[in-house]
Amino acid sequence: MKPAPFDFVAATSVAEAVALLGERDDARVIAGGQSLMQLLNFRTAQPGTLVDVNRIVGLDGVRRDGDFLAVGALTRHAALEAHPVAREQLPPLAEVIPYIGYAAVRHRGTIGGSFAYGAPYAELPLVAVTLGGEVIVEGAEGRRTIPIEEFFLGHLETAVGPQELVVEVRFRLPAAEAGFGFREIAPRRHDYAIASAAALVQLDSSGAVGSARIGVGSAHPTPIRVNTAEETLIGRRPDAVALAEAGQAAAAAIEPLGATEADRTYRRRVVAVMVQDALAQAIERSREAGS
Amino acid sequence: MAVQSDESTNLVGARVKRTEDGRLLTGRGQFVDDLVLPRMLEAAVLRSPHAHARIVGVDASAALAMEGVFGVLTGADIADEVEPQPVIYHVLPDQRATDTRAIATDRVRWVGQIVAAVVARDRYVAEDALAAIVVDYEPLPVVANLDAALAADAPRLYDDWPDNVVGNIEWSNGDADAAIAGADAVVARRMSVGRLLGCPLEPRGCVASWDPFTDDLDIWMSTQSPNLARDLLGETLRLPGHRIRVRVPDVGGGFGNKFDFYPEEIIASLLSKRCGRPVKLLEDRAESFVATGQSREVVIEATMAAKADGTIVALKAEVRTVCGGALGTVGVGPGWLSATMMTGVYKIPNVDVRLSPVLTNRAPMGSFRGWGQPEANFVNERLIELLAEELGIERNEMRRRNFPAPEEFPYETGVVFTYDSGQYGQCLDLCQDSVRESGWPQRLEAARAEGRSVGIGYGFHVEATAFGPSRILNLVGLNHSGFDEAVVRIDSTGRVTAFTGQVAMGQGIETALAQLTAQTMGVALQDVVVVSGDTATCPYTGYGTGASRGAAMGGASLMRATELLREKVKRIAAYQLEAAPEDLEIHNGRISVRGTPSIGVTLAEIGNAAYRRLSDFPADEDATLEERYVFDPENLAWSYGCTAALVEVDRRTGVTQVLDYVIAHDCGTVINPMIVDGQIHGGATQGIGEALYEELVYDDQGGLTTTSFADYTLPSACEVPRFTLHHMDTPAPHIPGGMKGMGEAGTIGGPAAIANAVDQALADIGVEVRAIPITPPRLLDMIETATREGGRS
Repeated sequence: MKPAPFDFVAATSVAEAVALLGERDDARVIAGGQSLMQLLNFRTAQPGTLVDVNRIVGLDGVRRDGDFLAVGALTRHAALEAHPVAREQLPPLAEVIPYIGYAAVRHRGTIGGSFAYGAPYAELPLVAVTLGGEVIVEGAEGRRTIPIEEFFLGHLETAVGPQELVVEVRFRLPAAEAGFGFREIAPRRHDYAIASAAALVQLDSSGAVGSARIGVGSAHPTPIRVNTAEETLIGRRPDAVALAEAGQAAAAAIEPLGATEADRTYRRRVVAVMVQDALAQAIERSREAGS
Repeated sequence: MAVQSDESTNLVGARVKRTEDGRLLTGRGQFVDDLVLPRMLEAAVLRSPHAHARIVGVDASAALAMEGVFGVLTGADIADEVEPQPVIYHVLPDQRATDTRAIATDRVRWVGQIVAAVVARDRYVAEDALAAIVVDYEPLPVVANLDAALAADAPRLYDDWPDNVVGNIEWSNGDADAAIAGADAVVARRMSVGRLLGCPLEPRGCVASWDPFTDDLDIWMSTQSPNLARDLLGETLRLPGHRIRVRVPDVGGGFGNKFDFYPEEIIASLLSKRCGRPVKLLEDRAESFVATGQSREVVIEATMAAKADGTIVALKAEVRTVCGGALGTVGVGPGWLSATMMTGVYKIPNVDVRLSPVLTNRAPMGSFRGWGQPEANFVNERLIELLAEELGIERNEMRRRNFPAPEEFPYETGVVFTYDSGQYGQCLDLCQDSVRESGWPQRLEAARAEGRSVGIGYGFHVEATAFGPSRILNLVGLNHSGFDEAVVRIDSTGRVTAFTGQVAMGQGIETALAQLTAQTMGVALQDVVVVSGDTATCPYTGYGTGASRGAAMGGASLMRATELLREKVKRIAAYQLEAAPEDLEIHNGRISVRGTPSIGVTLAEIGNAAYRRLSDFPADEDATLEERYVFDPENLAWSYGCTAALVEVDRRTGVTQVLDYVIAHDCGTVINPMIVDGQIHGGATQGIGEALYEELVYDDQGGLTTTSFADYTLPSACEVPRFTLHHMDTPAPHIPGGMKGMGEAGTIGGPAAIANAVDQALADIGVEVRAIPITPPRLLDMIETATREGGRS
């Protein structure tokens, strides 16, 4: 479990990092290293150069920017969880972050790394997909903004180019009346989830579902928003039957991950349960917000 | 047989803090990877990616040409230089051999089998070089699992075998078939236990230094059995014993895995011999999943029958251990223990048990805490509950009706063993009382009222400890001994050094043996030091530090040696005090005349006389203060316990959570309750893992799919409940000191208790657990099937 030889360069600015990514063959960015180090040690990844971005000043930080909460790419999960602006503006983050790995992982792992790696089980990408958001990347041509809907392309595949660096992740702030819910199931408390679900629901004055956004993680090659599940709910009273139907619709919409048929079947089953429970929590909170 | 001592301070039985903890917990431990010798090189091994293939050729030329590479070893290089890897258990009369050398010579039979080794400047370079070795494999048909191995047209792993069966053995007592035919209730089930891996925090490793001038092999190993390792190194490398010295640095957990003898020890030795430099060879975590002995996997078809009053009349069982592509050090030993312990704690007059282990293209089986006993216990303790239900008898009442009574001990089980002592009914009472006092029945009712699925399960177990009587072990097929030798010395300052063949591996033996020695000698704990882990300076223990031997065997011989030394000290003191030895007593390092404490001499003065001032020393005594004792027990010591588990099942996800856990336990004299508690906590955690979380999963091509801790899910602190423990301490009648072992207890009783609890939680729909681990996908399938079929009600 020793990595193959590689060059290591520590960049001190985004421009330098981007330039290095352009110059070096087969370069990869290392930030928190919570996924990449494993790949290196297993020799699954054998990059020619590691471009270290940890020393870039100003690449972390959290601020409100209009309808968004903007999080610098180098912000550690633990820092985001504790950040007063994040806690005030977007409480779901502090609710979800404790599910990311364990404390040591959260103190090293970065937001930008999590999005750039594109793992389907990552919690914050699921939140962004569910709430809406965008990712800002910088390359030789300058900065570009990628809507979250266009960001995750496939399993461990994102819209970030090989010579681009993620610099900021932006979460759309939900309406005050909306309720958020989140559930995940994992073999053990700190494991990668087998299935996860997030929901954002707003009830109308009659108590029916006015709007709903449902995201599923871990079970599908990417975090995925499931419109078909959302549509089953709109205009409907959110009773147990409606929630179960939404769960079934979400389960039907995914292409489940898993090495065996049994794995895939199980993921579909528990996706339905996670969606149902995340919705129930979101609806309960929406009721509280509306009363 | 309690601990005999003049000392009244009662160190034995005290919750003394472990003396090794400060050092270990502050990072001062010195593990094998901390060892750096001058001019040392590092090695790495290349492992087969194929489960079954012929090796057509190995081309290491590119690797050898790399800068920093000192050598490459292939199967062809060692074929004539070493004997096959040793197998010390030959328990089947017709047991076939799987002679396999440390590096595969012509054929690989499991993913992970070693095909080459590289020695280099450091591990990084060694791993770079591994990638440059080209092995030409010709794949062979894979025997992926038990059914494939037993199929009529199954490919054979060994061409000269008629099939893939290692051998057969049967034990019979009475007439099981007739008893079953005449019984009022019969349950027959096919049950299975998954494949497991013991996972010590520190993987295996060694540093070998072969002196090319003297042919002395100095080897440091993370091992539980240095004496056995020295003997097996000698056999395999064709070296006499006096040329080999095995030393054991701090060991970061063993769990039986490090009892066994592995190819890497041979490879490091040969590489060192070739290079003339010390060679470190560590198993990394990723390798450990295919390189460390695997365990447990077995299918047991069993029938238990009883009369209407609950009296069990017969047990039949067919035990099929799913071995790997070769036999490991302990061969089919664990399967043998499963088979011979199928009767569990019950009086069963008619027994018929068969064992026929089978080879597959999986990694070899080895030792792991529990060693066959959890498998037998899982089946036995499930069957008795199913039988109780069939007869309408309360399950623990059913148990009680079949326990041997305390006065029936020593109790012959009818299959090999004689249980030395036990008060099973009292232990079950203790467990049930604790369950009641903890309010489980009320918690169960409250949870059910909320629509939650909660159940209580019990499992009663015996544990084979103080292994064991050497001559009997030889008779049943073990090519090794089971005695323990101890040496105790008092130095010129009157302080005590206890030399043991047992090995410290985090289990607390340094403290426990020091307590026993201090109490026996009559000195303070800090005046005793325990030395272990060096074949050149420490005594010989048969077997090793496994099979729950540490306290019972290591303690018994040390206690006896200390008693002998105490007598010598008293004779010397008697000479100096002009008193009779029998009138003397030793307290806190001072020998005085009983009843006249003012007349005395200190141990420091006796030590000084024995080594430096012989003018104060009796003429008829040898100078120095040292005694030796060899203890070979007449029988094993049988610990026992009762486990109760309170579990909750989520019917929507199939997830089982352990809410609460009680263990009542009797391991004879307890030297240090805190250490015993810790051992039971650890074992119980592994029992929970075995029941719910852990499984090595192979695919249909013999590929292992669980190759990291992300897939092989050990229970963590978040998954484990608080344990409530109750100790009984009935001394073992035949062990000096009365200690019984207890290192494996938690792993044995847990699975059945948890499975029984899951059954109870889902009783309304009639789910019946027949396989562990009870993973969420499996349980959800069972719940859905049971629900579809309408359940019992």
